[in-house]
Order: sequence, then C-alpha cells, then structure tokens
Amino acid sequence: MISLWHFLGVGAILFGLGLVGFLTRRNLITMFLSAEMMLQGVVINLLAFGSHHGSLGGQAFGLFIVTVAACEAGLALALFLMLYKRGRSLDSGDWQTVREVGVPPAVDTVPLPAPPPDDHPTLPVPGRLPEQAEVRFQEVTRA
Amino acid sequence: MPPALANPLTQLVLAAALGVAGVYLLLPKPRVRWVAGGVALVIAAAAVFGVFLFERYGQPVLSVNGDKTNVVGSVLFWLFAAGAVGFGCVLVTQRNPARGAIAFAFVILSTCGLFLLLAAPFLMAATVIIYAGAIIVTFLFVLMLSHVKGPSDENDRTREPLLGSLAGFGFVGLMLFTLHASSPPMALAKDAGPQYPLPAPPLTADDRQLLDRALGHCEEAIQATTWEEFRNHAIQANGFLHAFFTAADRLPVEDRLKATAADPRVAAFLEKHESLRSSSGMPLLSLLGNPTNETEARAAVKALRDELYVYRGNGRLPARNVANLGFLLYSEHLLAVEMAGTLLLVATVGAVAIARRKEVGQ
Amino acid sequence: MPDLSTPIGLSLIVVALPLVGCLLAALCHVGRAVKLAHLPVIVSFASAAAIACYVLYAVSGQSGDLIQTASLGTWFSSGRLSVPLAFQLDPLSAVMLAMVTFIATFIAIFSASYMHGEAGYARYFAFIALFVFAMCLLVTANNFFVLVAGWEGVGLCSYLLVGYYYAKPSAAAAARKAFLVTRLGDVGLILGIFLLWKAGGYQTNIDAVIRHIAEHPPGDGYMTAACLLLFCGAVGKSAQLPLYVWLPDAMEGPTPVSALIHAATMVTAGVYLLARTAPLFVMSPTAQVVVTIIGGATAVLAAFIALAQYDLKRVLAYSTVSQLGFMFMALGCGAAISPTIAVTAALFHLLTHAFFKALLFLGSGSVMHAMGNVIDMRKFGGLRKLMPTTHWTFLIGSLALAGFPLLSGFWSKDRILHALSEAGYSRSEFHYLYQAVFYTACLTALLTAFYTFRAYFLTFWGEERVPPEAHGHAHESPRTMTIPLVVLAVGAVFVGIIADPLTHWFDHLLERAPVLHQANEAFTKTTNLKVGEHHFDWGVAGLSTLIAVAGIGAAAAVYRRGGPERVPGPLRGIFALSANKAYVDEIYGATVVLPAETAATGGRQLDGFLDALARLVSFVPRFAAAVLRPLQNGLVQFYALGMVLGLAVFITVVVFRSVR
Repeated sequence: MISLWHFLGVGAILFGLGLVGFLTRRNLITMFLSAEMMLQGVVINLLAFGSHHGSLGGQAFGLFIVTVAACEAGLALALFLMLYKRGRSLDSGDWQTVREVGVPPAVDTVPLPAPPPDDHPTLPVPGRLPEQAEVRFQEVTRA
Repeated sequence: MPPALANPLTQLVLAAALGVAGVYLLLPKPRVRWVAGGVALVIAAAAVFGVFLFERYGQPVLSVNGDKTNVVGSVLFWLFAAGAVGFGCVLVTQRNPARGAIAFAFVILSTCGLFLLLAAPFLMAATVIIYAGAIIVTFLFVLMLSHVKGPSDENDRTREPLLGSLAGFGFVGLMLFTLHASSPPMALAKDAGPQYPLPAPPLTADDRQLLDRALGHCEEAIQATTWEEFRNHAIQANGFLHAFFTAADRLPVEDRLKATAADPRVAAFLEKHESLRSSSGMPLLSLLGNPTNETEARAAVKALRDELYVYRGNGRLPARNVANLGFLLYSEHLLAVEMAGTLLLVATVGAVAIARRKEVGQ
Repeated sequence: MPDLSTPIGLSLIVVALPLVGCLLAALCHVGRAVKLAHLPVIVSFASAAAIACYVLYAVSGQSGDLIQTASLGTWFSSGRLSVPLAFQLDPLSAVMLAMVTFIATFIAIFSASYMHGEAGYARYFAFIALFVFAMCLLVTANNFFVLVAGWEGVGLCSYLLVGYYYAKPSAAAAARKAFLVTRLGDVGLILGIFLLWKAGGYQTNIDAVIRHIAEHPPGDGYMTAACLLLFCGAVGKSAQLPLYVWLPDAMEGPTPVSALIHAATMVTAGVYLLARTAPLFVMSPTAQVVVTIIGGATAVLAAFIALAQYDLKRVLAYSTVSQLGFMFMALGCGAAISPTIAVTAALFHLLTHAFFKALLFLGSGSVMHAMGNVIDMRKFGGLRKLMPTTHWTFLIGSLALAGFPLLSGFWSKDRILHALSEAGYSRSEFHYLYQAVFYTACLTALLTAFYTFRAYFLTFWGEERVPPEAHGHAHESPRTMTIPLVVLAVGAVFVGIIADPLTHWFDHLLERAPVLHQANEAFTKTTNLKVGEHHFDWGVAGLSTLIAVAGIGAAAAVYRRGGPERVPGPLRGIFALSANKAYVDEIYGATVVLPAETAATGGRQLDGFLDALARLVSFVPRFAAAVLRPLQNGLVQFYALGMVLGLAVFITVVVFRSVR
C-alpha cells in the first residue's frame, strides 16, 4: 500500500538529488534544471499532504509553484544568454568577480582531459599527383 | 542480517553514504570518474534503502481488503518513483547538458505520473505542458546557441563534488529520518492488518463511516440556528463518536498502545487518543444540558470538529478536479492568482529587457 | 500695499531703490558691463535721497500723530506667531532715511572715481547698495524681526565690504573680526528682544511692545536686564567699549566704505536702536547710567588712542568711536533730565557727525588716492599747496569735529555737553556719575580737538613731502571726487542751523515723534519730574569754545611745522601707550583669545584621544572581517553550500531535540 510516507520520501530524494546537482555542477543550465528538480520534489510533497488531508489547497499551491518556476525559467534564460554573450561560456565559475577585495580567485589546477580523437572517416590518398599540380594544390591550400 | 544493520538510523546513514560515494564517482571530473563503480554504488544505496523500507514499512502488499485497484496504484507508484529518482541521477551526473535536459524531461514525466496518483490531473497536464513543452525546448535552444566542442570547464568539472554530495545526501538522510521519526511505531502498524505507517491511526471503512457521520453532525450543529437543533446534532455527533471509541476492534489497538507506552512516540499518540476520547464523554453532554452554556458548547463542538478532521486524516479529493480547482483558485486564492499573473507579466518584461539591453550594449 | 504717494509709500520706495540698484549692479557684473556698475547705484541713491528729503519735508509739515505704518503682507507665520513685513515712518525714521541716502549718494559718487579700475568694481557697488538697503530696512522697521533682518544685513554687508580685498590676509582677518565681534553684541540684542517679547505680551510690533510694557511694567530688574541686553547689541554695532576693537581694523576696506560705515550706515544703527527704544530705557535709570558711563569711557579711551596714531584713517576711526561715545553719553541722560533732550542731542550729533565724518574720510581717501595708497602720516606732509580743495574741505571737517564755534559740530557737541551738565545737577540718584561723565566729556573734547588738528597739520602743513609710491604725479583728485567733498563741507558747516539755538525745526520735528511722547510719559510716571526743556546755555557754549580753541591751539603749537613727530621726554610713556592702542588688543588676546585657543587645543587633543578609542572599537569588526573575508570568494555555489550546511545543522538540532 502506498502511503503518504512514500510520496514524502520520493519528494525528499528528488530534492536532495537536485541539491547535489545545484551545488556541484558548473554548467548554468544544468544548475538551473537541478533547481527545477528540487521544486518538483516540493510540489510532490504538497500534493501528497493535500491528498492526505483531502484538500485541494496543495494542488493550488503546486500551481503557484509552477507559475513561479516559469517566471524563473524565463528570467534565467535571458540572463544565461546575456552571460554567454559576455563571457562565451556557461561556467558559473567565470562570474566570481563579486568576491571580496584581496581574496584570490578560485582557479582550476587539474588539466582537462584531452579531447577525444577525431573519429571522422578519412579517405586514403588516391595516388601521386604530378609535380606542377601538387605545387598548385599547395598554393591553393595555403591561400 | 547483523543486528547492527537492523537499526533504521544505521540503514539510512549507510544508504546515504553509498549514495554519496556513487554520485561522487559519477560526477564529471577530470580525474576520479568511474561510471561503472558509481552506478553500482548508487544501486547499492537504492538496495539499502529498499531494505529500510521493507524493514520499517512492510512488504509491498498486493491486495488490501480485496481491493485490487490498489495493486495497480502500487506498481505505478514504484515505477514513477524509480523513474524520477533514476533520471534525476542521470541529470545530475550527465556530462552533456543536452542529455541532462532530456533526462530532466523524463524526471518531469515521472513526477507527473506521481501527480496523477495523487489525484492532480490538472497539475500534471500543466506541468507537462510548461516543463516538457516549453522550458526544456527553450533550454535546448540555448544549449544549441552555446554549443561547446570537446571538454570544457562547465561540463567536465564540478565544484566541490565530495562536499556537495555529502551536503545533499546528508540533507536527504536527515529528512527521511525526520519523516521516520515522526511516523507512528511499527509495533502498532505490523499487527493491525492494513499497514498505515502514518500520523493518522489505521481506520477501517466502518471507522471512517462513523467518524464521517460524527463530523457531519458536528458541521450541522455548527450551522444550526436554534438551540434545540444545535443540541440535537451535538448529541448525535457525540453518540457516533462514542460508538467509534467503543467499537470492539478499537480495544486491542488501545491495549497494544498501552503496552508500548514506554516509547515516547507511542505516549504522544496515546495522549492524543485519550484527549479525543474524553471529549466524547460527559463534559460536552453536561454543557448541553443548559441553554445558558450555548457559547461554550458551540466552541466545544467546533474544537471537536477540528480535532476529528485531523484524526480522520486521509480524505477523499473531489472527482471533478479541474472544476473544483478552478473554483478554489478563483474564490479563495483570487488575490494570489492575480499576484501570480502580475509576477509572470513582470518576469516577461524583465526577460525582454535583459535580453534587449545586452544587444544595445554591444 | 500702501498708497505710494503718501509719505510712508514714498519711504517704501526709498527702501526699495537701493535694492534695485544692488540688483542692477549685480547684473552689470554678470552681464560684463562692469564699468557701468556705478550708474544704477548712484542714480538709485540720488533718487532715493531726493525722495527721502521730500518725505522728511512732508513729515515735518504734517500735524497730529506723526507715525505711519504699512504692511507688505505676512513675512512668515508659525502657530500663533505671525510676523508681518511691516514698515513705519516717524520723524526718527524720516531723519535717518534722509541722512543715510544723502550721505550715501555722495559717497557713491566719490567711489565711482576712487574705485575706478579696481577688480570687482561691480561687486563693490552691489554691496554698497545692499548695505544702504539694509540700513534703510533697519530704520523703517516696524517690528523686531524686520529690525533684526536689517541689523544683520548691515553686519553682513560690513563683513563683505571690509573684506573687499579678500585676497589680503589682513583684510580678511579684519572682516572676520568685524563680523564676529558685532555678533557677540547681536547675541545680546536677540536675547533682549526675547525678553521684551515676553514682557510685551508676545507681540512683535515695537510700538505695541512699548505700549504694553508701559501699561504692565515687568519690574525694575527685568527692564534693566532687557535694556542692557539691547544695549549689548548697540555696543557691538556702534563700536563701544568693550567691543569697539573691530572698527579701527575695518580700515582695511576701501576708504569710501569706511566713510559709509562711520558716517551713515553701520555704527549709527546702535544709536538709532537706543533712540527707538528710548521709552524702555527711561524705565530703567540704571541701564541709562550704564549707557552714559560706557559712552564716556569709550569716548575718552578712543580719543586717547587717537592721539598717537600715524595712520590718518585710524585717527579718524578712533575719533568715530569717541564721537559715538558722545552720542551714547547723551542717550544715557534721558532718565535724568528728559528723554526728548537726550535723544534730540544724540540724533543731532549723529546727523552733524555723519556730514563731517564722511567729509573727513572722503578727504583722507582723496589724500590716499593722490599718495598712491599710502596713508601713513610720517611719509607725507605739506600737501596744502598740492591738493587745495582737499585741504580746505578737510580743514572744515576738522574744525567741525573739533567743535569750533559756529560749525555744525560745535552746536551738536554743545547740546550733548549741556545735557550732561544738566544731568549732573538733576535730582537723579546718579547725578554725581553724570558729573564725572561731564568732565570726561570735556576732556575728550579737548583731546578731540588736539588729535584732529595733529592729523590735519601733519598732513597738510610743513615741508611738502610725497612718498615714492605716488610715482611723482601726486595731484589734486578729479572733479568727481572733489565735488562730494565740497558738498559735504557745505553740509558740515551749515547743517547745524537746523536745530537750536539757530532755528527750531529739528527739535520741533522730533518733539512730535510718538516714541518721544511715550518716553516723556514714562519719564514723568517713573520720576514724577516735569519734562525739561532745552535752552541754550552760554556757559557751556563758552566752555566748549574754550576747549576747542585750546585743543586746536595746542596742536598748532606742536605740529604747525608738520612732521616729524616730536615727543617731549616725560610724555614718551604716555605717547607709547597711546600709539599701542592702550594695549587693548593685547589684553583681549591674553584674556579672551588665548583661553579660547587653549580650550580649542585641549578639545582637539581630546578629540584625538576619542578618535583613537573609536579606532580601537572599529578594530573588532575589522578583525572579524579579516577572518570572514575569504568566505566571500564570489562563487555562488559555495554560498549555496554554506546555506545548505547551516540548514542541515539547524534541522539536526531541531529533530534530535524533539525526538530525544
């Protein structure tokens, strides 16, 4: 039998996972989606309690949360676009200039892994080119 | 199972610790990232959590009092819950944000299923439309606009992975433990037939009927205009309440409760039960004897009604969800609706202003 | 708005004209027409003077009650207090208005050439016009608020004009001194006004207050305090002991400004104030005798200091202080003989003094102009051939100041001496004090005649000497400067004929002033004496003549051959005392300035100590900030982590406390 407790548990786990995502991930969009997931956990909580008490108040509350989340999404989108145009990056760590004077910036020391090798198909060399043609080809490629 | 692991707190802590380790391994990092191990650990955490559920709240029941529909409900719940949590894990740990967005869409769909189980079809529809339909799509647009090739800081690095997962899972464990601590004792739930590990007491259909009738008379007594009418309904309500408490199947529950009174949670529960019981007895009747006590009697009936609502617990939501929700929103929450609308408008204007200013600035 | 064809309406025009002139001159400054700045001022002064003379004529021809009032609406109101912008015209105001505008006109004409080419020409004329406007406001004020407005306006303008050469440190210091010292007196004035306001039934109108106090006398002590506080203001403004020190320093301003301050606009304000409030002073014989004593002491001290000054303008400045002392001596006789006699004598002397002192200052300005801004009498001499007009007019002014018979100064000084001698033989309880003051006055008159002619002989007699600063073209001043000298000289000779014993116009005019009526009533009420009548006294006149001639003769005997100074041995000490201004500035420096400075230094040390304490306290948050600052690393997620951890701790505590 599914009880109130089960729904509350699911809500709590969703909330916690979203929290982990928000705290650790650095892509602004992923952070935002994690925050939305936290909101979903809260909405589940509200609906479960509403259902338990036989009240529609929980659902009304859930609707308001969805509304606010929509506002948040619109604003966040506009802000992300602007930030991306300024810094060409969606890294939240790029915007740490608001720190106190004299505090050193957090710099990543561990190098990123090398990009995966380009696995586009390559064509074999079809054969030797004549001398002149090769020169012209080189010129063309150089230009 | 070793006795040490039988403690719910230990189980929860273990589940959270395994979850932390798994998510830590799964989170994108330049160095320590082991997907297979992480997945295994997360599954292990889920398993420990399952043990906790099984130990505390019993095995999944396939039929309750011969009601087969609950089976479908249970299966759907576990399906949707697992989907939500699993895709949530994917969203948090996925390196590619586009895939993360798709995972988020699945999280939304799963939670929408849960909404349906909670009798909220309108909210389900609204959430699907808004999140899966609008937000995810626009975010995918942004992702396409800011497409990054190869490894990048934002996708392949995390900020404080260990500390962040510790905080998150610690928080979850804390909440689950809190829920567990506030739910009624297993000693009560285990032998009482249907499992109701909830703050409300286990009620049979007959109990519920008795309580509902008592409540109905309470409401009518409160609505009553004359003393006679009021008195009549109040006496009837009292009668049903008395019947509820004197029913034969209540007594063993009380005895069990008294037997475990050493547990403070049981004591609290018992206290509540007793207070309700005492209010069904002589005090109200003595008040009803004299019309001069009308105000006090009415107050007592009101208090009784409120107590009963809390005690009865799980109610039934109306079947016409959209119509009733609309009525509620446009009657009780009208101001809030207007505020929400204004907020949306302001947010729209703000979003446009922010996006435009950037263009002018360049 | 009153009818502008009536005398009071015309007097409003007189008040307004200098303001218009001021604004036009200021516009000249803004509009780059600086060289024309004198025109609006001279024209407005001249027309104001003409109108004021007509007003005086009209007032003297009127019969009955001679007070007229006009209100230009409410100035401000607060609660039950409503202050109208009200003016009044009575013989006192009319005389003052005519005198101020007449003298100011010629000073303005003189300034036009004297100040020619100076930087801030337009500023100078704007200030002069504002100065005259403030003085006119003061003498026509109907209530205490307008009076104080004019009073403070006069003080402000004197500050601005004394500090005209503000780039010069001494000028800036002198301006500051003038402003601050008169402010000391102003405090007294304001307090006195508050006392009168309380005693006068909380009215602001001066006449109403006087009438109310006459009907409900508040008691001797109260009246004495109020009168002495008022007198404090007069002491500051009219440069009496102990606040006279600013006036000699005010020489730092341009010479015509000195003429204006000394003759017409500034220092006469105090005398006017005491004349205006004569009915109150009559009720307090103690205050009256204090006024007389202060006047006498000032007069003799200033005359003594003037004996040995080398700066021509400084001699004249001390003579002004001394002459103002004479006026206060006269004003102080009111309670002993008759307010009418006292006020008439003081105002008469004020009038004649305005003429000859303006003349003398303009004359010294003329000398200064010719000598290349040198005013030290040791550096020039024998100028009578070089500057004949200046010489003759200066001689006339000196004779008038010395009280030579038949000149205006003689008549007015005679009136004062006569009033003092009368007071000395009156039945007043202070008659012996008045006697002492009378002898002081005689001594002062002797000193006056001596130092005036010392200055005159040192400047114009003896061997002709011209300082090198004149660059060899020392010459008589241009016509625009000599004409005012001549006009004022004629005035200095003949203005004495308006009053007793030659004609009675002035006496009859003032006798009908309602203020003096009230004063006389109060006098008869308090002393049960009949109001005395002025009559010419041959004895006093003879004594006065003798003193003047003796002083002039002594000066001639010593300085006839001009400079340099020859001091006989036994008198050297006294001479040094006089030359060092009786060390008054030094005494003030030691007794007032030094303690104040010490207190200020101590205060600064204390401030530094408190500062250090405050810094010590501020170190606590600084330290906390140094510890906490690294937490503000600009990473949003770090902050969120902090929030979550904090919340987790909080929930843990709450949950486990409720469970256990």
